[in-house]
Amino acid sequence: MSAFKPILTEHIHKKDCHTLSFYRSVGGYTALEKVLALDPDAVIEEVKASNLRGRGGAGFPTGVKWGFIPRGSEQPKYLINNADESEPGTFKDRLLMNKTPHQMLEGMIIASYAINCQKAFIYIRGEFYKEYEVLNQIVAEAYHENLLGKGILGSDYNLDVVIHRGAGAYICGEETGLIESLEGKRGWPRIKPPFPAIEGYLKCPTVVNNVETLCNLPHIFNHGPNWFRAIGSEKGPGPKLYCVSGCVNSPGVFEEPMGVPLKELIFEHAGGIRNGNELKGVFPGGSSSAILNAEEAMGVKMDFDSLEEIKSMLGSAGIIVMDDKVDMVQACLNIARFYAHESCGQCTPCREGTTWLVKILTRMVNGDGTERDIDMIYEITDNIGGLIDFSQGSFGKTICPFGEAVAWPVRSFVEKFEDEFRSYIPQLEPVA
Amino acid sequence: MPLLKIDDAEFMVEKGTTVLQAALANGIEIPHYCYHPALEIVGSCRMCLVKVEGMPKLQVSCNTVVSDTPPERKIDGKYDMVVNTQDEIVQQERKNILEFLLLNHPLDCPVCDQAGECFLQDYAFRYGNAHSRFEEEKRVNPNELLGSQIVINHNRCILCSRCVRFTREISGTNELFVEERGYRSKIAALDDKPLDNQLAGNVADICPVGALLSTDYIHKNRIWNLQEQSSVCQDCSVGCNVDVFYQKDQIFRLTPRENHDVNGYFMCDIGRYGFHRFEEIERVTLPLVKSDGNFTESSWEEAIVKTAEELTNAGAKSAGVASPFHTNEANFILGRLMDGNIGTLPAVTDEEVIYPSGFRISADRSPNQRGMNDVCPSIVEDFASTIEGKDIRFIYILDDGIDRKLDDRWKELLEKVGFVVVQSYAMTDMAKYADIVLPGEAPFEREGTITNDAGRVQWLRPSITSKGEARPDWKIPMLIQSKCTGVEAMSDVSAVMNEMGKEFPIYAGITFFRLGDQGLPLNGKGEM
Repeated sequence: MSAFKPILTEHIHKKDCHTLSFYRSVGGYTALEKVLALDPDAVIEEVKASNLRGRGGAGFPTGVKWGFIPRGSEQPKYLINNADESEPGTFKDRLLMNKTPHQMLEGMIIASYAINCQKAFIYIRGEFYKEYEVLNQIVAEAYHENLLGKGILGSDYNLDVVIHRGAGAYICGEETGLIESLEGKRGWPRIKPPFPAIEGYLKCPTVVNNVETLCNLPHIFNHGPNWFRAIGSEKGPGPKLYCVSGCVNSPGVFEEPMGVPLKELIFEHAGGIRNGNELKGVFPGGSSSAILNAEEAMGVKMDFDSLEEIKSMLGSAGIIVMDDKVDMVQACLNIARFYAHESCGQCTPCREGTTWLVKILTRMVNGDGTERDIDMIYEITDNIGGLIDFSQGSFGKTICPFGEAVAWPVRSFVEKFEDEFRSYIPQLEPVA
Repeated sequence: MPLLKIDDAEFMVEKGTTVLQAALANGIEIPHYCYHPALEIVGSCRMCLVKVEGMPKLQVSCNTVVSDTPPERKIDGKYDMVVNTQDEIVQQERKNILEFLLLNHPLDCPVCDQAGECFLQDYAFRYGNAHSRFEEEKRVNPNELLGSQIVINHNRCILCSRCVRFTREISGTNELFVEERGYRSKIAALDDKPLDNQLAGNVADICPVGALLSTDYIHKNRIWNLQEQSSVCQDCSVGCNVDVFYQKDQIFRLTPRENHDVNGYFMCDIGRYGFHRFEEIERVTLPLVKSDGNFTESSWEEAIVKTAEELTNAGAKSAGVASPFHTNEANFILGRLMDGNIGTLPAVTDEEVIYPSGFRISADRSPNQRGMNDVCPSIVEDFASTIEGKDIRFIYILDDGIDRKLDDRWKELLEKVGFVVVQSYAMTDMAKYADIVLPGEAPFEREGTITNDAGRVQWLRPSITSKGEARPDWKIPMLIQSKCTGVEAMSDVSAVMNEMGKEFPIYAGITFFRLGDQGLPLNGKGEM
């Protein structure tokens, strides 16, 4: 195991680590003090210099995103903390909210200050009730200690934070679906452009950042962008929380730098495959990423570029491990069902295609598959989400990336485990 | 202005125009469902995808704005944007989307009212596959009544959400929404808040497929059997532009016709379904003369001679009643006949309704109050009071028709007047008091001009033929005048318009040709 010392999760095993007094005792809110003395533009420049990339799944550079907020606009600006963590296999934000909520809140205040936002939201997944209670408590603490409200820490900066609970839709984790939901509407992602930075919440400039992204901010300002850039992969540096689940001996959230070998996460941190079984496949970045076969999984590094090279993605770093006892056709149907259930139904290909896939896969599992079904799965997934190959063909066939999120895993299952799919197709016995 | 190239055509477009708008405005078809020019852009049907040069993936043309490109980045040195709507990948994508849309479609065109004007049918024919590759069970939901005479056939619905956006953005009544999620999504209204607004009929018009239907037209006819006439709604002073669909002498439906100076894209249900009130009425098709309290049929010649005689005898003790339900031409000729001694009945009014989108239903439920006043300038509003004390011996009433309920005051008045002429298409309350009834045309039979309350002159065109021996409403008073004065009667309504323009310069130069489909504003000067 590497000698890396956790940064975001350094204190999570300590008693009362979620309280303000604890957080202050380990240097909490000192970054905020530094930030409040800076010009907001300088704050954005620092984050750009750190090359922090979003931890929600898409990996967009955070500082660049902030930079899209129009300067001098009279409209209010909004920061939304996307705590609607719902990607299957992902449970890192929940940990951060439970154990180090003040780290996240400090990050929120820094981000809000940078984009001149006076009102920020935490959109928390509805099922996270315990975390919701923690957040309520720490936000109240923060108001009491003048970390929120008027004239924060003696500056002339004001910020209010509102906690909003989601109502149980996966799609509300997509930033524009989230904004619609926060506005009290149905969580249908919006067509872009305009992007949220121009027209977001209530048609005002809005930044949506993931919990883990925000948690990185205090450290960037405490140690400087160069320190941050030196951690892990060059093109997407920093510490990263990896959630390992599935057929492993000790599942959990592990913090390592960007670019840690997937093999190390599975076999060292998570204690290897259960019952001494063989590794068969891995989702490296939540169920929306293309599945890796054992060979790919053993060789890949966990960062944006390395995974993109093998036509998968880092996504939310929700690593779901499958061993040789897993039936890949059943697993594929399970994933397809999830996406069919969660499709918002707005765009034609996703609404109709997801359930078509489920119907075909169900028929296959029931023993009524035909040779043609394999080709149909390829075609349908391509028509919903486009080809996985970024260099050719068209993708972006739907308003939001949900189309790709269903197409890529389902297609990759068939691609990489085609024999298993074929074994489900009844073979005609030759008539003697 | 940016220079846009679509396929082989190129044109300058206003900054901010989308590719789809530019294409449609220039006669290039890009198939689309969810886009409607009056509604917010959602980009969800994915039908209008096109290839834009320099962009890695296909773009929805409804949400792709043609923007100014800096000189150094112009394509081929001059284009701001180059769009391809015919590329193989675009054609394949259309096939894919249509395949998805048709997966669960019942393919029941032979019994669907939309057949013949259905975008699913048209696009599938032009861009789709001939066969379905879907071998699973189809999704089936029963039809439902949403309210306001609108039924939904869920199985035909493509979930473009135009209807939902309509009730949010145009009527502002918010009854419709999408229920459930994903594959189970369907258009719905709450049981205790059904579709209930006077613009509801429009949702059937804007539905690009056969999902939303008006119970008024369902299974009544096939669109290819019907003839279409562009005309103007006569149910309030807004004067919405409409298309009247009819077969022989029966009207089957009215739909709004686009006119951005009047009604935009829509019309209200009052006007839409208003034609039914003319269907089962007792028509007067021959002149009727009253003797001993009973009407007997008479010839036109006899009726004209008698009316002319009575008018001549009464001389200055005669009066005319103009009608805001009639054309400018009919009122103009009546005004001339009565030599300015003319008034009108109390206005027919109801509640004014203004929707958030600005769509208006006027309180004045007559179509031509403005025009009537323009061409009968000496008109007296409270005519009953004016003539009550006077010794009126002859009164000529241009009847408002079945829209008019006669009050007691007028009943008393009419009983006192020596000779009452009522020009009407029906045996109305008013006609019952007449000494002579002259048969005119019903609203959908009339031709002429009407002026809406914003001062726009519009061409009212006839869609069905007049009944029996009924004559155009401008012609009847003209024949009487001709009989009285010996001057030859004008033979067609255009000649009347010309004459009207000479007398009232704000109407000068107005011809049917110039009015066309969109009408003309009164410019106050009669400039051509």
